[in-house]
Amino acid sequence: MKSALFLLPFALVPFFANDFWLVQIFGRALILGIIALSLTFLAAYLGVVSFAQATMAGVAGYTVAYFGPNTVDVGREMPFFVVLPLAMIMATLSGAIIGLIARRSQGIYAIMITLAIGVAFFYFTRQNYNYFNGWTGFSGIRAPEIAGTSLREPLPFYLLIILVSALCLLFVNGFIKSPLGLTIQAVRDAPKRVLAIGIPTTPVIVSAYAFAGFIAGSGGILNVWYQERISSFSVGLGPIVDILVIAVIGGLKNPIGAFIGALAFVLLDTFAVDFIDRERFNTLIGLVLLAIIMGAPDGLHGLAKSWLSRFKKRPSENQV
Amino acid sequence: MPINHDHKTANALEIQGVGRRFGGFWAVKDVSLSVRPGERRAVLGPNGAGKTTLFNVLTGDLAASAGTIRMDGADVTQTPMHKRIKGGLRRTYQHAHLFDGLTVRETLFLAVSSVAGGWQRFMPLKPSDGAIGKAESLAQMSGLCSDLGREVANLSHGQRRQLEIGMALAENPKMLLLDEPAAGLSPSERPRLAELLLSLPKDITIVLIEHDMDIALRTSDSVSVLHNGRLLAEGSPENIMSNEAVHDVYMGGAHGH
Repeated sequence: MKSALFLLPFALVPFFANDFWLVQIFGRALILGIIALSLTFLAAYLGVVSFAQATMAGVAGYTVAYFGPNTVDVGREMPFFVVLPLAMIMATLSGAIIGLIARRSQGIYAIMITLAIGVAFFYFTRQNYNYFNGWTGFSGIRAPEIAGTSLREPLPFYLLIILVSALCLLFVNGFIKSPLGLTIQAVRDAPKRVLAIGIPTTPVIVSAYAFAGFIAGSGGILNVWYQERISSFSVGLGPIVDILVIAVIGGLKNPIGAFIGALAFVLLDTFAVDFIDRERFNTLIGLVLLAIIMGAPDGLHGLAKSWLSRFKKRPSENQV
Repeated sequence: MPINHDHKTANALEIQGVGRRFGGFWAVKDVSLSVRPGERRAVLGPNGAGKTTLFNVLTGDLAASAGTIRMDGADVTQTPMHKRIKGGLRRTYQHAHLFDGLTVRETLFLAVSSVAGGWQRFMPLKPSDGAIGKAESLAQMSGLCSDLGREVANLSHGQRRQLEIGMALAENPKMLLLDEPAAGLSPSERPRLAELLLSLPKDITIVLIEHDMDIALRTSDSVSVLHNGRLLAEGSPENIMSNEAVHDVYMGGAHGH
């Protein structure tokens, strides 16, 4: 519960921000934060750094694009209340499959294998025209109208984003306190010992990835509504690395880090062009990443936490 | 798992010609043992004798390269580890591999719900959960009730050993394999461990690897001695203490760290 309160400042944004800040900055930050949250979840609680989160989000996005309204001649339209559950199921399933493939790998090997899956999916979407419309992808994707409210309007869309973000944070924090969530953390700490108390590790790892797919899928649906388009570039190396950069900048130890990192990333991404050339953005974000890794390995969240604890300690020091 | 009960008085553990090979090296070779239900058996031997490897083969951490393993009359040679655990087998490890990020309560909860079922649930855990109650009584048995909320990473070495035993006692084990439970314990902690072992229900079969002769001989009915992967001698503690061959091996082995 406590951690969802962290999103409270985001809930206050509509009172003073214009539509640009509402959607392009805070909305986009929260969406990227949700996708990065699924990476942070795997890193913090399963101990695996996965490069396939943009892929899982992309599976949900492509499902929405294929079965939803779009302006290309691919797919078949279905009502949103069918498409949304379907997209979540597909994303969760994609997480489970990736987990099944990557279940025995850790460290650099998990990174390589998930990266390989991500890149394979990128080329697959680019070369398949029947389902993914190849290079061009889908455009003209529209968020649905629910009970007379169009989710394409900035305020309703932003409120939906913040609701989904809060739910995802609550899900993660509830899940890690569940028996299965505890087992996932036990697998992170001592996988052999988990076997020795009588639990097979494969279903545990697969369910952790499936849960990450579920979270990434919720972000993926919002992302495709935000972008109103999806193509192979949405699941390419660029977005894959962006998600990792966001998670690392924010801090891989705590779910909240994903959102902090996403906000920092979006602010840099949007405003750095005022100071440097567009082509220099990767250099800038690379330098920021380097500074974080060297100066604050636990990311901005870890940095904020250590500052806060220093602040709290002061009174007791005065007494001594 | 095919279970073929031979006869009523099946041995708790019966292994025949068990061996484990690493490349060309047999860490355990042609070991045959039988342990009666409720028996307390100590396994002794110098470093490198193959004691822990034998345990690993018994639990299924390692596959046997040769021989058969029967527990309660059922052939478990090919049975995966988690199924052997469900069948009532438990073990502790010489070097405590624990879940450092969890608390004592959560660790014992997992030890209970892994056997009793229910670890797959994905709704937040309620404090009133039945398995939590069982976990807390396990903590009581292993002397950790004041540390239930502590993170395992912050436990002392002795407390980690206690937690190992607490985990192994979850859900009425039939057979315990204890791999040097006293290793690294202070002299004052050792008698408490011996008490704990002696206080365990008499129907639990215990096989114990222990270098502390005092604990090993005090808590066991019979002793098997391994040397270079083979069974060297077997008998009552008194017999073993007076056995020439065992003396030679131990005197030779004690210096060769």
